[in-house]
Amino acid sequence: MMIRKNKKKGQTKLPVPIPLVALVLVISSFALVYVRLQSRTEKLGREIKELEAARESLRDQLVQEQCEWARLQSPSSLDQALRTHGLAMNWPNRDQIVRVRYDGSLDASRGYELRPPTRVARLDRVVMND
Amino acid sequence: MTESRASTKFLLLVALLGVAMVGLGVRLVVLHLGGAEQDRAITAKTRTYKQTLSVPRGRILDGSSATGILALNVGVKDVWADPALLMLSNRVGVTVARLRPLLEFDAAELTLRLSRTNSQFAYVARKVPEALAERVAALKLPGIHFEDASTRSYPQNAVLCHVLGFVNSDGVGSGGVEQLMEKYLKGSPGLIESRLDGRRREMVDRRIQEIPPKDGADVILTLDQNLQYIAEKAVDAAMERNRSKAALVIIERIRTGEILALVSRPAFDPNRFREARDPQKLNRTIGVVYEPGSTFKVSVIAAALNEGIVKPDQMFDTENGRWLYQGKILRDYHAYPRLDVADILKKSSNIGAAKIAIMLGNEKLDRYLRNFNIGSKLGIDLPGEEGGILAPATKWSPISSSRIAIGQGVSVTGLQMLGILCTIANDGMTMKPYVIREVVAADGTVLLRRQPEVIGRPIRPDTSQLMRKLLGRVCEEGGTGTKARVDGFRVAGKTGTAQKVIAGHYSETEYMASFVGFLPLEKPEIGMIVVFDEPQPLHTGGAVAAPVFGEIAEQAVRYLGIMPEEGALPPARTGTVDGGNETF
Repeated sequence: MMIRKNKKKGQTKLPVPIPLVALVLVISSFALVYVRLQSRTEKLGREIKELEAARESLRDQLVQEQCEWARLQSPSSLDQALRTHGLAMNWPNRDQIVRVRYDGSLDASRGYELRPPTRVARLDRVVMND
Repeated sequence: MTESRASTKFLLLVALLGVAMVGLGVRLVVLHLGGAEQDRAITAKTRTYKQTLSVPRGRILDGSSATGILALNVGVKDVWADPALLMLSNRVGVTVARLRPLLEFDAAELTLRLSRTNSQFAYVARKVPEALAERVAALKLPGIHFEDASTRSYPQNAVLCHVLGFVNSDGVGSGGVEQLMEKYLKGSPGLIESRLDGRRREMVDRRIQEIPPKDGADVILTLDQNLQYIAEKAVDAAMERNRSKAALVIIERIRTGEILALVSRPAFDPNRFREARDPQKLNRTIGVVYEPGSTFKVSVIAAALNEGIVKPDQMFDTENGRWLYQGKILRDYHAYPRLDVADILKKSSNIGAAKIAIMLGNEKLDRYLRNFNIGSKLGIDLPGEEGGILAPATKWSPISSSRIAIGQGVSVTGLQMLGILCTIANDGMTMKPYVIREVVAADGTVLLRRQPEVIGRPIRPDTSQLMRKLLGRVCEEGGTGTKARVDGFRVAGKTGTAQKVIAGHYSETEYMASFVGFLPLEKPEIGMIVVFDEPQPLHTGGAVAAPVFGEIAEQAVRYLGIMPEEGALPPARTGTVDGGNETF
């Protein structure tokens, strides 16, 4: 009688159960993804912080420039600048002023570009309505 | 045998790992569910980070087309030192010596403060401009540090200081628009609550909450920096010429009540408000009352004409300049036997004005003056407005009306006096004066927009028109206000030379010289008052204030683009300056 060979005897058994391995692999994958995402988030966070600081810095710079510009274009500074350069400015005499009446005849449909009313010279200009 | 040993080892390993895991699990449960409240609180506290995000205060802009910035917050640095470190390294003297050329401080006092070994913090200088702070930082001095700060800056220095006010060291608006519009200007700070990492750096991805800051809103004024400069320049030059103690100028747009320029002297630089004295901080245009003198005759004559009690050509006996009434003598500066109502105004006759007031009667005079807002505030949107002084008619003496008619026994602010003239120029309608046109949030939303507001109509339009004509005559030949004339325009107005009350008596040497008027005569656009306190040696309104009115008005009409009118007389500011014939 022939003795049946036990095939299972020759097989190498894993020291840990397969479901455990699968579980470890899944958890490891999740952990890796988590670490990667965490690292990206941190990097983005740092970038946000840097951009916030840059924005503040630019804002400060803008305000400084606005302040300086306001100082430079103030009437007293302009007056001072004119005097420094030996320039004298006077209001024009009445006979040096040409006043043009705007009769309202120009309109866009006729191919003209209408300027805002305050920029059009008018003889009957009422200042309080500007 | 071998298999069994391996299996035992494996089981042992699993058991050990199991025990370790259970241990960790138990610890985790203990930490999370109980028994470690205190630890958790400490950890959370040390790792939680809260930062209040300060917001820049809103800007204040002028009403010109350029919308010039009058006030804004700028970043500065506070420079501080570590005295303990400086003492340890024996560098106090060197540090002070190297900082001295750059920063303003008392070297001896700073040396003393930096010589404290038990202190690790001492300010060297505060509110240092960033450019200067960079120069200090470039010195790379050990133990010197910088801290970000913010300060209110007024780029145009003293220009419009009384309107703007200033911001105190706590960042709160004090005086002027800064005070009145505090709730709009200050904005609301933001908040960041977050976690810190092991190196105490914020972990942006772990932010718990973030409330964005809301920037302060911008306040746009009706005042025009160019007109203001024109007025300030003229007033400063006149004050130097006339050696006045103080002065004020207000320019108002008649139809709307918008204030276009507001000058009060002496002034101060709001950037250095700590150095300003109280008289400098006082806004004389609205915060100081004075006896208006002859300019006040306008209100009495307007009231009498409106009541129909007198007519412009009605003659009055002006008693050759000396009139005894109720046992008291009233004098005219120039004696006239008879004058009609129109000339009483033109020649500024005290006796004529007094007689008109007596004809009007106490009750009606009181009612008209109160309708002209004398004795009550006009409600301008600036803090510190005075209402003037006008006693109730029931408390008047028998001569009160005759004295009130010439601007004695009644006190007004410059704004109130201008209000009377603007009412006459505006068909009898009194407009509420205002300096704030708009408040605009940082996102462009308009939070507040002022509209012209009529607050009274003390006289009819026909009376107003008649008064305009009469006031126009004041600037014609023979009138007291000839020097207020403007090339191409007919000016209407009234001079005033009021004796000041010193120690209960009218002074013979100290006066308030004023001119209040408007132009163009036919279609009035702007009203203006000019007042000088104690000018010397010339002291009359016609000689001191009227020329300044003319000088400012001449530039103002051109700047505003107001059209010239026919029939205007040439200016009379050049040539000999006489005293005019103002009355007291």
